[in-house]
Amino acid sequence: MITSPVKLWRRQKSVSSLIGKRGKILLWTIIRVPAKSFVGEAPYPVVIVKVKNGENMIGQLVDWQKEDLRVGREVVCVLRRLSTEEKEAIIYYNIKFKPL
Amino acid sequence: MSKFRVILSEVECMNISILGASTTKFGELWSVSPRTLAKEAMTNALNASGLKASQIDALFVGNMLSGILGNQTNLGSLLVEELGIQIPAFRIEGACASGGLALHNAINSLKAHQYRVVLVLGIEKMTDHSQDEITNALMAAGSDEERMAGATFPGVYALMAQAYMQKYKAREEDLATVSVKNHYHGTFNPKAQFQFPVTIADVMKSSKIADPLKLLDCSPISDGAAAVVIANEENSKKVRKKVYIVASEVATDTLSLHDRKSLVSLSAVVEAASNAYKKAGIKPKDIDVAEIHDCFSISEAIAVEDLGFSEIGLGAKDIGRGKRTLFKGDIICNPSGGLKACGHPVGATGIKQIVEITEQLQGEAGKRQVEKAKIGLTHNVGGSGAVAAIHILRI
Repeated sequence: MITSPVKLWRRQKSVSSLIGKRGKILLWTIIRVPAKSFVGEAPYPVVIVKVKNGENMIGQLVDWQKEDLRVGREVVCVLRRLSTEEKEAIIYYNIKFKPL
Repeated sequence: MSKFRVILSEVECMNISILGASTTKFGELWSVSPRTLAKEAMTNALNASGLKASQIDALFVGNMLSGILGNQTNLGSLLVEELGIQIPAFRIEGACASGGLALHNAINSLKAHQYRVVLVLGIEKMTDHSQDEITNALMAAGSDEERMAGATFPGVYALMAQAYMQKYKAREEDLATVSVKNHYHGTFNPKAQFQFPVTIADVMKSSKIADPLKLLDCSPISDGAAAVVIANEENSKKVRKKVYIVASEVATDTLSLHDRKSLVSLSAVVEAASNAYKKAGIKPKDIDVAEIHDCFSISEAIAVEDLGFSEIGLGAKDIGRGKRTLFKGDIICNPSGGLKACGHPVGATGIKQIVEITEQLQGEAGKRQVEKAKIGLTHNVGGSGAVAAIHILRI
């Protein structure tokens, strides 16, 4: 996980340009045994999304219901807090996907 | 010009021989330290070769996690101490393909005639750490995007499993047959972490890790070490039942799964394997026995297709039909039990595969012996397919 403020600052520029991008779920899984930073959020879905310009992106799916987990489901990129595990660390925001 | 041609052909023709090979027991080895594990594997490989440590020119160590888990990034020098000599030593990492990459680099040093006889060690000590620490450490093999998506190593392979099941109409039960086969093989291997059989029903009812992968689709967290002594042909005259490494090929791909053209095939494996077959002058059907990197059940299903053992889309079904199973299949895969049953100490795996194939070709594999095995292959993959090392061995 990112702990360096410099690295975080460098990434912010590219992250903000992704907000609002739309696409369709290509593949999905539900992570039930997460890495350390995501322990509080499991289980959560991770999806590969084909975005409109044709490239693929990977991200966490938020605000989801069971029926959203299907190939072809339309989603949009939103800015969300990355994880809530480390209470005293930098609060880091990243792109996640939300069903449309 | 003609002289130049001669030199080229000498380089092309690989004549690396294995003088000694040994692996420790794999498993949850809480009572031993990494040093002890390394020493055991190296000493036994040396004893098998009939050589003394003082006859070894260099040590190559395959290891992934010593930096992250052990705060140790001077592993070559640390482990060479256990040999009681001071020789050039290198630690080589490429995620779970670290062992295969270490061997590839050791072979290159022999081909360049920098060294005459070298020792290659693969080692990993994982069970000293908690599950979430290990899950986190293993994702060091992934990309920033994957890590920040909260994807795990099983998660990335689960996405491949979803893609495979969609494309080829395979069922979770088809993937489960990989674990059933490898656990069956593990019952014949006294060094294996798990020496008990499992059924398709056991796999299906095991707890979910990342849908559709369940606990028994996944290789375990393990400790273990394996070592081989290798040399150029001119330095290996005395060995009985000599096994040759006739091809050693490495290829890479994008770190991220989602950046790849295909999600149901690993192009690094296809490329390294096709180069290896070409160098060895053989075809996939000539292989008698193979050690496959089955970090997850889906990995072996895809691997047997990428290696040309099975038709595209039929890898899992062929495994279910017994075509890769000891005593009844045509190309036997993972007689050791594979990563699933033998265990997967990540840096050690690539070298353990070589040890297993060496024993198989020498006819010394005991109860799990593949009859009349003459040509063997090892398939070692790092990350979700970002790097692959393929070796072909023959007797």
